[in-house]
Amino acid sequence: MATKVVMEALSPTMEEGQVTKWLKGEGDKVASGDTLAEVETDKAVMELVARGDGVLRKIVVPEGTTVEVGSLVAVIGAEDEDISSFAVDTAVPPAVESSDGGAADVAALPTGAPPVPVSGDSDRVKATPVARRMASERSIDLAAVRGSGPGGRVVKRDVEGAVATPPAAAITGPAGFEDVPLTQIRKTIARRLAESTGPVPHFFLTTEIDMERVVEARTALNALDEGPRVSYNDIVLKVIAAALVEHRACNAWWQGDHIRYFNEVHLGVAVAVKDGLITPVLRNAHLKTLRQIAVEVRDLAGRAREKKLQPHEYTGSTFTVSNLGMLDIDQFTGVINPPEAGLLAVGSIVEKPAVEDGQVVVRKRMRVTMSCDHRVIDGAVGARYLQTVRRMLENPLAIVW
Amino acid sequence: MSSDLLVVGLSRMAYGETLALQRTLAEARIDGRVTNDMLLLVEHPPVVTLGRSFEKKNLRTPPEELAARGIELFEIERGGDVTFHGPGQLVGYPIYDLNEHKPDLHLFLRQIEECLIRTLGESGVAGRRREGLTGVWVEDRKIASIGIHVKKWITWHGFALNVLTDLSFFHLIVPCGIDEVVMTSMQRELAEQAPHDLWARALDGVMLAFCEVFDQTPQAVTVEDIQYRISNIEY
Repeated sequence: MATKVVMEALSPTMEEGQVTKWLKGEGDKVASGDTLAEVETDKAVMELVARGDGVLRKIVVPEGTTVEVGSLVAVIGAEDEDISSFAVDTAVPPAVESSDGGAADVAALPTGAPPVPVSGDSDRVKATPVARRMASERSIDLAAVRGSGPGGRVVKRDVEGAVATPPAAAITGPAGFEDVPLTQIRKTIARRLAESTGPVPHFFLTTEIDMERVVEARTALNALDEGPRVSYNDIVLKVIAAALVEHRACNAWWQGDHIRYFNEVHLGVAVAVKDGLITPVLRNAHLKTLRQIAVEVRDLAGRAREKKLQPHEYTGSTFTVSNLGMLDIDQFTGVINPPEAGLLAVGSIVEKPAVEDGQVVVRKRMRVTMSCDHRVIDGAVGARYLQTVRRMLENPLAIVW
Repeated sequence: MSSDLLVVGLSRMAYGETLALQRTLAEARIDGRVTNDMLLLVEHPPVVTLGRSFEKKNLRTPPEELAARGIELFEIERGGDVTFHGPGQLVGYPIYDLNEHKPDLHLFLRQIEECLIRTLGESGVAGRRREGLTGVWVEDRKIASIGIHVKKWITWHGFALNVLTDLSFFHLIVPCGIDEVVMTSMQRELAEQAPHDLWARALDGVMLAFCEVFDQTPQAVTVEDIQYRISNIEY
């Protein structure tokens, strides 16, 4: 007994469908559940499935042809069956029971490709069970971690250290940055569902830096009397950028389902303007000389106050610096500019007593406070970054080291 | 009745890899190894895909030139004409069993549009439908494209929402085969009002909108989780 293949209604509002592709040809053997053709309606393609076994005897509707729902599109029959009565019959009632047939045919379908086994590389690396578990939780490739335990075994602290640098399994994006997926998108869901506008989970790190040598260096530079005068802020920006190159873990964006680590440093420089605050961006700050920084920051700040910045000049920063030193603020905490993961709040340079070799001496000191997004930057990671900032400011030659 | 929607964040993944994953997951859904609907969310490296109603004239750029520019080209089984995916575009692949919702393909397309319109609304972009032109539009500018494939009422392929997309890529093609169509993105529409975390907002928004429109509860899972489920039942 021959089976009619008709244009199925894939929606109550569907009146016609286009046969876009025949996957079986006339004369092919077909079994119930086999996909015969693809049918398109609107922007959806549906597979037309055989409802009977046999041979696809006749294709009535060629590829690219649109027909009404219920029209005969093909005939399935036995190899030697006479189907002449079907070939002309195009006024068949619509097949409305289509969904039932589909569900019943499920078993006939070949199963998908076997799942890809998890890479076994990590198993060959010597590691303690704790280190192995932590590595797995944090998606760190153990093979890429240098073991400091006995016989090169990877121990807990090695894995902890590996967090500071993005794991080897990272997905590489275009040149300027690298995206590292989170192990759990759950974090995003929790954030959004628990509280509709969850705040960035901040924490803060403060350190006091001896600025004597920066003061000397600046005095010497400005004594050259060549071009723009260099401000303390210019030097601080230069150091912050140079230190971020060494600590890429702090030069990143929280992206909801992944973290974007940047190879380039684009510093947002907070500037107070008449009715608020704007943060022009010093692009590629890590590549710029002190002189370039001095010129560019003055230009950006000047135009910011006149409200003449273009949108691209105040978007796309990877880290922000806010300096209230010129307003005599000793220490403050800034609010992170999402999706950036860090901000450094810079206080004023003040003379104060400090202890040096057991003696109380008067030194020029400056306090800086880093705000960190804890989803991206861990405490020790932020602290190590600040150590580098401090080392460079206390010995400015380290910038060119 | 509310069911769980398995949300799989793939971050950035090549088109071919994601396509293979979709097909695997759709097969698993068809043969019952996975019993939940799934939503894959992904950002692709630059790629041009040709749907089933593709017309040659709508690929303005010869394949060799695309290859030279590092743009991949795929001919695939979804509905629709030619489209582009690339960085800054949020691509979603709902693998749904419409028997558990309403077995109505047109309604499903309208529901996807509804999800995207809600997502846009959350960020202050007024998305809308245009009669006979599946997708989501802002006035007459196209911001999201839709193209799906269905087998036994299981869907795959899906939508592409321009969040921060570099729109110049669309000049390589005649998007969706509609001459003179102007493509836009959330970033372009919002201009200076665009929040810094637009991407994360769009990601959250899409996920929540699907849960609202299809009355579901999100469950975050990794690809490995799902592959484990599939293999667990299979062996």
